[in-house]
Amino acid sequence: MTRQTQARLMPAGVEEVSGIVGRCDRAGEKVHVVGGETLAGMGFPPERADVTLVTTSLRGIVANERADLTIAARAGTPIQSLAMLLANQRQFVPFDAPAPQYATLGGTLAAGWLGPRRHLYGRLRDYLIGSTIVLADGTIARAGGMVVKNVAGYDMSRLYVGSFGTLGVLVQANLKTVPLPASSRLFLAPLPEGTRERACARLIALGTVPAAAFWIDGFHHAVDGDEGPEGRILVLFDGSDALLERATLELRSALGRAGVPATRVIDAGAREAFERVVDAYIACLGERSVTYRIFRFPQESGSCALAVQELARRFKLRSETIIDVMNGDVLLRVSDLDAHAFGAKIETFDDALHELEPRAQVVASKHPHRGNLRVWGAPPPAIDRMRALRGRFDPNRTLNPGCFVQGV
Amino acid sequence: MLRDRLVEALGRDAVKTAPEDLAVYAFDAYTDGSTPSAVVLPQSTRDVSAVVKIARDCGEPIVARGAGTGLCGGAVSIAGGIIVSFARMNRVLEFDERNRRVRVQPGLINLDLSRHAASSGLFYAPDPSSQRISTIGGNVATNAGGPHCLSYGTTVNHVLGLEVVDAEGEVFTTSIDDPGYDLTAALIGSEGTLGIVTAASLRLMALPEAVRVYVAAFDDIDSASEAVSAIVGTGILPTALEMMDAVITGAVESAFHAGYPIDAAALLLVESAGYQEDVESAEAAIRSIVREHGASSWRSARDQAEREALWAGRKGAAGAIGRIAPNYYTQDVCVPRSKLPLALRAVAAASTSNGITVGNVFHAGDGNLHPLLMYDKRDRKQVAAVVATGNEILQAAIDLGGTISGEHGIGWEKRDAMTRVYSAADLATMARVREVFDPARLLNPEKIFPSGTRCPEVTP
Repeated sequence: MTRQTQARLMPAGVEEVSGIVGRCDRAGEKVHVVGGETLAGMGFPPERADVTLVTTSLRGIVANERADLTIAARAGTPIQSLAMLLANQRQFVPFDAPAPQYATLGGTLAAGWLGPRRHLYGRLRDYLIGSTIVLADGTIARAGGMVVKNVAGYDMSRLYVGSFGTLGVLVQANLKTVPLPASSRLFLAPLPEGTRERACARLIALGTVPAAAFWIDGFHHAVDGDEGPEGRILVLFDGSDALLERATLELRSALGRAGVPATRVIDAGAREAFERVVDAYIACLGERSVTYRIFRFPQESGSCALAVQELARRFKLRSETIIDVMNGDVLLRVSDLDAHAFGAKIETFDDALHELEPRAQVVASKHPHRGNLRVWGAPPPAIDRMRALRGRFDPNRTLNPGCFVQGV
Repeated sequence: MLRDRLVEALGRDAVKTAPEDLAVYAFDAYTDGSTPSAVVLPQSTRDVSAVVKIARDCGEPIVARGAGTGLCGGAVSIAGGIIVSFARMNRVLEFDERNRRVRVQPGLINLDLSRHAASSGLFYAPDPSSQRISTIGGNVATNAGGPHCLSYGTTVNHVLGLEVVDAEGEVFTTSIDDPGYDLTAALIGSEGTLGIVTAASLRLMALPEAVRVYVAAFDDIDSASEAVSAIVGTGILPTALEMMDAVITGAVESAFHAGYPIDAAALLLVESAGYQEDVESAEAAIRSIVREHGASSWRSARDQAEREALWAGRKGAAGAIGRIAPNYYTQDVCVPRSKLPLALRAVAAASTSNGITVGNVFHAGDGNLHPLLMYDKRDRKQVAAVVATGNEILQAAIDLGGTISGEHGIGWEKRDAMTRVYSAADLATMARVREVFDPARLLNPEKIFPSGTRCPEVTP
């Protein structure tokens, strides 16, 4: 049973975080660490939270080494302000986090967020070159540094990514950046039934690799406000103007051959339109929806989406899907018009979904019984070692107790 | 006793204990070595597991070893111990062309993987200069880099999962797609101290449609290094951006006839790979920057053969040094990229003051320096001078905000330098990980962690 938080603290400095965490650890109090809470629908709710430690006041750039293509920021820095700063100096990091105006650097890293451009630019973990963490006993420890290659000792920074705050509180992240692509162009097209699988197969095989491609069914309000019944496809290209011209020709030809009607091109606002799709990953319909992410190979995602949609129909749940065509992720939002009816069905649906897709994970939900779902999917084979690591880093289970995989 | 049990488990042919056999495994590419008690050549994960269990019973440490090309004494056993050589576990286990994935045994040679994948239009991106002989297992242990990791990233960016034998002899698997801690990342670069990798799943990449390789020559090394900082600072990241000084190009030309201009003080070897449209514009932009920085000549490879010749010279540079010195020591430090000119001046100052000839050949775009310090190891004074030079370069890199190893690892050589870049608290986090995976410190002991430290000492 979740116990209510007693105090909500917003430290502005690393030493202050260290003081709070160390004091709680010694007093046997449990600390729930949160950033902008945009990914609060991931993981289990904490078993107990005596103190909620909010990192949003721990913000700001520590070092902006523009000529080195590196930057270091406090963990509570909003993703959007960091991305804007980098864009102004023609650099970027593929955060691709939902609600970037609220999402924090530390929260995005700690949640191990996987964005839709990772097939092209790599995972966010691969941009992290150094970190500072406050351990459960209050110790401040650094890892890595401000160089882009570093094999001095274990790669602690990458271990902290996706650790959900259970190894320590991330207070600073040092990132390498890459040059910002000169331009972006977005293509939108309706995707009538019968064209979908062919269209996706052609997208995967394109000579110019899209930065992102989505096959979207539903999510009308979240993505484009269009209430049309058909699915649609959104394809984003990043690159030089010359490359975008070539991509345009190749894409139109490929989609045309797949039977997709004329595509609409968006140049101004292409990245914003892309960001709205990413925002939709965590868009909840009050307490009456749960959104899952299923990881598949790109060629399997279409049939996976159809199978889980069919499953939802059997449970009389409304289903909406976003397929991240290039990575193979299937995002499934199930909902019901009535919160009570939804509550009655979701746990048995969750069981059935995991029979079909054991690795399905919850990415967004405000449902009060979210903790009863298999939010992390099937446990990983190395779970015992993970448990042992947690025990070694946080023996008193002070930080985010019970939030992580298998209650780690 | 030890030998009997190993022979019983693996067969006579897989166990070496004769002094002449052990001598082969006493060294890697570092200068110091030590003879192990036994060498085993397993053929399967089960064999590795059996060896670890026997080693535990006998209290013998275990060192996993690929091709022994490591430069920091990571693949030698310090006090007796069993060397596990992966020479017979060198197969491609699964090749999934459609999903661009491959699963391999650790003894597979790096370049053999790319050769295997080439007919499918794919390649394995990490390309350490040793790639003709170094193995995937060794590359994973050190998180190996190479010239092309400037744009493709190091080994950790290309490993999808691992099969590992732990310090108890039990097998476990990791995947970057598993929920939970990223154990794959923790194991990569852990130099065989957390487990013994017995299979690796790797990401392959599509061969680029266009590749350009070009060489810019400079009359002084300062201008070349400032050009590198300017290229990166302008926001251009080529696929590879390498630098060589006159000492290196002279040796390379006489050994390989790579086609380098030999009258220049420094060369930049640059590769742009990707889309046709992009490589053309990148070449134009880089050419303009190097001209502004006083490049005295510029040459683009006209075809595949010329591109390969230019690369063969770079990758064979260390070997070519054999023509001008009986021995050399390679230092490996990494500095913030804009500090490259200062770092190179520090290298020159350290070698001059100690009377050591130095050749620079390195991954300039990453700020990853590899000064090759030449000496004759029969001459004690020269050995002392090389040690002093290496140390001064290390300290200069630290003072510039850099690190003590960019891609070669810590191993035996640099473990005592770890305290120069990390506090006791920083090192204690690593020790906690070590305690979970190998509390008895049976796996590659006396590596990475400073000498004399045991886990309890760094545990708060």
